[in-house]
Amino acid sequence: MFVTDWNSSALVKAATKAGKKKATLTPMTFSLLHATDFADRLLYNIIPPLKAGMIVLADRYTYTAFARDAARGVDPRWVRELYSFAVRPDLAVYFRVPIEVSLDRLLARRVKLKFYEAGMDLGLSPSLVESFRLFQGRVLEEYDRIVDEFGLKMVDASGSITSQQREFRRLVADYLEGASGPQSEPVD
Amino acid sequence: MDPSQNPSTENGAASTFEPGRYYGYPLPYLSIDGYPGKIIAIEGTDGVGRSTQIALLREWLEVQGYGVIETGWTRSSLMQPTIDLAKSSNTLNKLTFVLLYATDFADRLEKEIIPALKAGFIVLADRYIFTAMARAGVRGVDRSWIRNLYGFAIAPHLVFYLKIDVETLIRRVLQSRGMNYWESGMDMKLGDDIHDSFRAYQRQLLKEYQALADEFSFRVLDARKRVQSIQDQLRRDVGAFLEASDTPSMGTLAGPGDPLSPKS
Repeated sequence: MFVTDWNSSALVKAATKAGKKKATLTPMTFSLLHATDFADRLLYNIIPPLKAGMIVLADRYTYTAFARDAARGVDPRWVRELYSFAVRPDLAVYFRVPIEVSLDRLLARRVKLKFYEAGMDLGLSPSLVESFRLFQGRVLEEYDRIVDEFGLKMVDASGSITSQQREFRRLVADYLEGASGPQSEPVD
Repeated sequence: MDPSQNPSTENGAASTFEPGRYYGYPLPYLSIDGYPGKIIAIEGTDGVGRSTQIALLREWLEVQGYGVIETGWTRSSLMQPTIDLAKSSNTLNKLTFVLLYATDFADRLEKEIIPALKAGFIVLADRYIFTAMARAGVRGVDRSWIRNLYGFAIAPHLVFYLKIDVETLIRRVLQSRGMNYWESGMDMKLGDDIHDSFRAYQRQLLKEYQALADEFSFRVLDARKRVQSIQDQLRRDVGAFLEASDTPSMGTLAGPGDPLSPKS
């Protein structure tokens, strides 16, 4: 098994960090930088373990970009074609949560919402919390479209961690049962 | 591509597009309708004399009172350090490179080119999206994917292509600054010898440029001619184009058109 995070390739980190710090990213450069990062991780971190028959757990995948970039005003068709080099996941699970719940959770855990996460670059509201609510509301709308378009499985993420995990494991187990099973030779 | 445009052309190979409009899916949040500026792009491979021609052309345009800005490949403040780092560390694959270049271009498009078009300036582009397409084409990146990727680019009003043959190019590059790793396509492992690699790589690259010249209707200039004679040709073509486009709102040095002013 191999775990890959969104936005972790060393190369693109510097530019993304600089752009985010100075808040100079446009919706297009935001989108393209994340696609570059994804391409880097796809080729170095995702494809090799797949070829070795491992399970890759991706914390966010292309759907995050589809939702977020479209919510920023980038053409949704363009983003989909941009990511057409990506490997289509065997199973994609969407943890769905109402905007107020996600906002409460974030505010409880952290002092400050991040500039781009709150969509402050779009000038929707001068208030960070209000901007977050408006922007993430748009992102959730996009996700709802994506769930239908790409057949994502859903987990109700407003429940307890235990109940979410139970649901999640059931989805994964169902999928693995239907698939061919472990690729490697059994060890005696 | 806009389905309302007629795809048929004289040879059937060229795409149709309207100068000053987006090639493909537009940036929905950035309308450029009616912007009076013009984009003039100069394309051509490494060491072919682009920057010399651009400097001379700029001087000539400014003397006539046109406002001119220059934009060049990988010159965005956002991406230049990262691209330089990527080149020096040599860990990048072709896809990541293509995307880094596209990010650089997007940054310059939104922060330099579009504001200048709005203010009625002439944008002189030292390479445009076609260099990215040629390099990606040589490296086997999917053609339709890269065309879609650059769909957010604005079609230039004029594209000049400085055409050269490999033998002349080799002599010229050796006489000036020598061959470097990337210009020789050493990442493609065409050979250990930099000269042989340069020759093989540039030959492929020139083939790609030629295909693009047909597809995007470049105006071809013979780069083997003397600097002044190429410049004369450039000025004749640019002059005729500007006269014909006859846009009284074009910014001039005497006018109020400051490209950095948001409300000009």
